Amino acid sequence: MSDFNRRLPVYLLLDCSGSMMGEPIEAVRQGIKTLLSELRSDPQALETAYLSVITFDSSARQIVPLTELMNFKEPQISAGGATAMGEALMVLMDCINSEVRKSSETHKGDWRPLVFILTDGSPTDTERFNTAAGELKNAKIANIIACAAGANARTEYLKRITESVLMMNTLSAGDLSRFFAWVSGSVKMSSKSLDAKPGAAFELPPPPQGFVIVP
Amino acid sequence: MERTAEAILTDGRRLPYVIKDDPPRGGMKYTYFAPDRSYVVQFFNDPKNAADPNLRKRIEAIIGKYNPTLSEEEGGARGGTKAAADYFAGKFCWPFAIVQSPEFGIVCPAYPSDFLFSDNASIYPQMSKDLKGKDKKSKWFTSEKLRQIMKERELGDFRSMLCISINLARAVRRMHSAGLAHSDLSCNNVLIDPISGGCVVIDIDSLVVPGIYPPEVIGTSGYIAPEVLTTLGLPFGDPKRNLPNARTDLHALAVLIYEYLLFRHPLSGPKIYSKDPDEDEYLSKGEKALFIENPYDRSNRPPDLAITISDLGRSLESLFLRAFVDGLHCPDERPTAMEWEKALVGAFDLLHPCENPNCAAGWFILHDPAKPVCPFCGTKVRPENIVRFHLKSRMRGSPGQWKEAGVINVYHNMPLFKWHIYSDVFPDEKADRSMAAYVCRVNGEFLLVNRSVHSMRSPGGNIVPPGQAIRLKDGAVFLMSDEETGCLCEVSCGR
Repeated sequence: MSDFNRRLPVYLLLDCSGSMMGEPIEAVRQGIKTLLSELRSDPQALETAYLSVITFDSSARQIVPLTELMNFKEPQISAGGATAMGEALMVLMDCINSEVRKSSETHKGDWRPLVFILTDGSPTDTERFNTAAGELKNAKIANIIACAAGANARTEYLKRITESVLMMNTLSAGDLSRFFAWVSGSVKMSSKSLDAKPGAAFELPPPPQGFVIVP
Repeated sequence: MERTAEAILTDGRRLPYVIKDDPPRGGMKYTYFAPDRSYVVQFFNDPKNAADPNLRKRIEAIIGKYNPTLSEEEGGARGGTKAAADYFAGKFCWPFAIVQSPEFGIVCPAYPSDFLFSDNASIYPQMSKDLKGKDKKSKWFTSEKLRQIMKERELGDFRSMLCISINLARAVRRMHSAGLAHSDLSCNNVLIDPISGGCVVIDIDSLVVPGIYPPEVIGTSGYIAPEVLTTLGLPFGDPKRNLPNARTDLHALAVLIYEYLLFRHPLSGPKIYSKDPDEDEYLSKGEKALFIENPYDRSNRPPDLAITISDLGRSLESLFLRAFVDGLHCPDERPTAMEWEKALVGAFDLLHPCENPNCAAGWFILHDPAKPVCPFCGTKVRPENIVRFHLKSRMRGSPGQWKEAGVINVYHNMPLFKWHIYSDVFPDEKADRSMAAYVCRVNGEFLLVNRSVHSMRSPGGNIVPPGQAIRLKDGAVFLMSDEETGCLCEVSCGR
């Protein structure tokens, strides 16, 4: 029978600049692995969520297009270079435009995409970043959660993209794994409560211990 | 990091449990396991919940006088016998104790192992690893997309899904008869095992208990009754706000049964109500909800609906129409759990094994012997394989008068139970589940073999003692038992 289920697109924007080299990037790889295994064992997430990964260093690119969890292959990621977060936002907007199905009079579109941004620094392409962040915030095309990791992450930049900014104090493997566990909890929760009253506040599980919501 | 801690119960008992980092967490509670995993200790995510005196009162009542898994003697539900309590202990994961220290919490039995995935459940090795030990939420078996990744043996067949539906209707009937409502019946809170046909209702702590302030639950997407969804925006105490109750349970129950039997959601069709996906979903499950098989308004009907409720026989069809047409927006019109239980049991008696060995459903409801075709694969039943019992029961006060008491479709190796023999036995929690007789086919001839029925009579009027059989010929009439409540059976073959 025809499928009338909407997809829940999930985009991960991951900072792979030089400062992530070593333990942090390894923790991110592990994090993606755990995220996948967690989501695959949740029937609603497996049915509705689709995942894409965009990485940024001196430039930005989509390394995994929006893919069904069943067919998702873990990407090869490595760290090095600058922090082209502005370009990453441009890539994100292009991907949302081309990959997310829009609703029409006759066709059921996808759910509003869920975007998680993880960075340990601040954009090195500031001008582009300012343009892209403004555009993204105004377009309201996605629910975006940004996470500033470690001492050098600057939350004021992230605040220009979204109201939902989290801060974690360290770039330790423990904190990064808690971040990915929280992402998995958020995706699970979103895939279950999709028909809560429209216009109501977007709900996510409480942030993990040691994480602060930036007001 | 793991360490063992001790929960002190309100009755002073102490129970050990293992504290782990990042314990499994639901919407309300998080869970720690016993060292031997035979029970779980659950605490509330929100300290406000744990401190709420209404929640405590509710849980005390649930564990005590409303508990169908404890007999009245043991402090459980009034009128509950030990046998009925044992029966329902297998149908619910009912909390059995309150933790007072280190903080307020509850203790529940662990899920029986039938309801946890074992090795190699999926056709994908990685998926099997991810699934191992996880609970068998209904959704795994009702979504076409998810069914495709499961090994065939995990999926059961149409008969086992019908059996699950009966068990669920019975469990909900038991709760409702005590005045309780579950308030969050959903694909997450009913675990099912399509291999054995069993189900277990979990998350029993947010029940609506008579006379106690109701819980602040909304329910789960897809199972929330339209009237609850429509008034979700009003504050909790507003009199116009519709809260979960027994009638909203009946919406969720009908949705679950529909999903178990047909693997699709009754309200998810092609119709679009708004360009905004949130708004569209909210309207399509709430104010504007429209059954995909509504016979009067076909605007939400999928273009390629192969199997429909009419393939399930007249009584189930009429209950689905009451649930999703008459009762969708009129909660009082919805069929009760008891009505579902009766109709499902009746449908079970009309099951017929599909003659196509490759039919995925394996069984279907042979409700119309004039059209004996499996709706799932289109295979026709050969007339010589159709044998039916038309049961009649004595009319009280009118000797020699009989009234219709149901039809049973029989087949090779089919067991019969007391509820097929006596008109006053219903297959509920009290019924004797040992085999009374069975039908078998020997050299092309169908026989009814008596196993334990007292005074079964042959068509010629002779006693058929246990171990002996009756030849099932077209038009034969005999007494299943000549006791007062024994049924009269008329056999029809090939028609």
